[in-house]
Amino acid sequence: MSTGSGAVVFTDQSGGDQLSLVDILDHVLNQGIMIRGNLVISLAGVDLVYVGLDMILTSIETAMRHMNPPAPLAKK
Amino acid sequence: MATELKRDAGRVLYLYGITESLPARSASAEVLGVDQKSAVEPMECESVVCWISRVSAEEFEKDLNKNMENLEWLAMASVAHQRALSAIRTQAEVLPARFGTVFRNLSSLRKHVRAGLREFQKDFKRLKDADEWGVKVFALPPAAKIASPAAASGRAYLMARAALVPRNDSRPQTDRELEEFSRELERVAEETAAVGKISGGQRGLTFQRSLLVKRANRPHMESVLRKFSERWADTRKIECTGPWPPYSFVSAKAESAGSE
Repeated sequence: MSTGSGAVVFTDQSGGDQLSLVDILDHVLNQGIMIRGNLVISLAGVDLVYVGLDMILTSIETAMRHMNPPAPLAKK
Repeated sequence: MATELKRDAGRVLYLYGITESLPARSASAEVLGVDQKSAVEPMECESVVCWISRVSAEEFEKDLNKNMENLEWLAMASVAHQRALSAIRTQAEVLPARFGTVFRNLSSLRKHVRAGLREFQKDFKRLKDADEWGVKVFALPPAAKIASPAAASGRAYLMARAALVPRNDSRPQTDRELEEFSRELERVAEETAAVGKISGGQRGLTFQRSLLVKRANRPHMESVLRKFSERWADTRKIECTGPWPPYSFVSAKAESAGSE
């Protein structure tokens, strides 16, 4: 399902809509159960990665918006 | 053969998430794993079911931190991780594991799952019949309003022109409106959480939350979004994504009491 009503945009993955990479990363990397232990590799350093990613992904997202039909975000 | 043995020896167990029981129909055949090669397998583990893939130890253990800094790798793996969880979620309520949770062997997986069982049971109860939704509000840049009204027909042109005329009811949109929006969403959600480590820098983004919404309450959430989208038609855009597995609402540290 993808409905534009007023200015709301619904992206419902169960309806086969494409989610943007930035949204996937936002949710996937947000939290999740962190099971800890000496034999478990968890992402201690991930928060550092976020900082650099933010800028790169924002520009990718902007590029994607320009390529796809939904209204592009205007650049300065 | 020797190569095959060596490769098997170099596998680790990548955990996607945990379900309470084995669903009648398994998703394993339908979706590829986080490495886009291996199967997603349900594995009974203590009293729950762990959904895993057998992945390369080199890629997901030794080089994991390095790979996380490689945007292309991270993007592919995150999308595959999400796809696997999405397939699992169609069959059972799933507690998503943190991206990149890897175990060297089955006994390690069992040991750590056992330690978290009590927390998982609480999460299953709390998250039952609920989905995560992402809500973002963007301020529409003024430039959008004065975009050239290039139109295919005369009618479309006039409509585009009409849209450019400033409205008289240009009430100042203070943060109070966002506060009201936030309060109304909180009323339809069981819980809310901060999200946006990645997209936080998107241009025009003025509000971003993750909501945990019972499936029965989804129409209420949608009506709140529609109401505000109409109110903000010319000034703000609302984006809503989901339903997501409850990434942002599982207990973050299943073993926190026992470690450190």
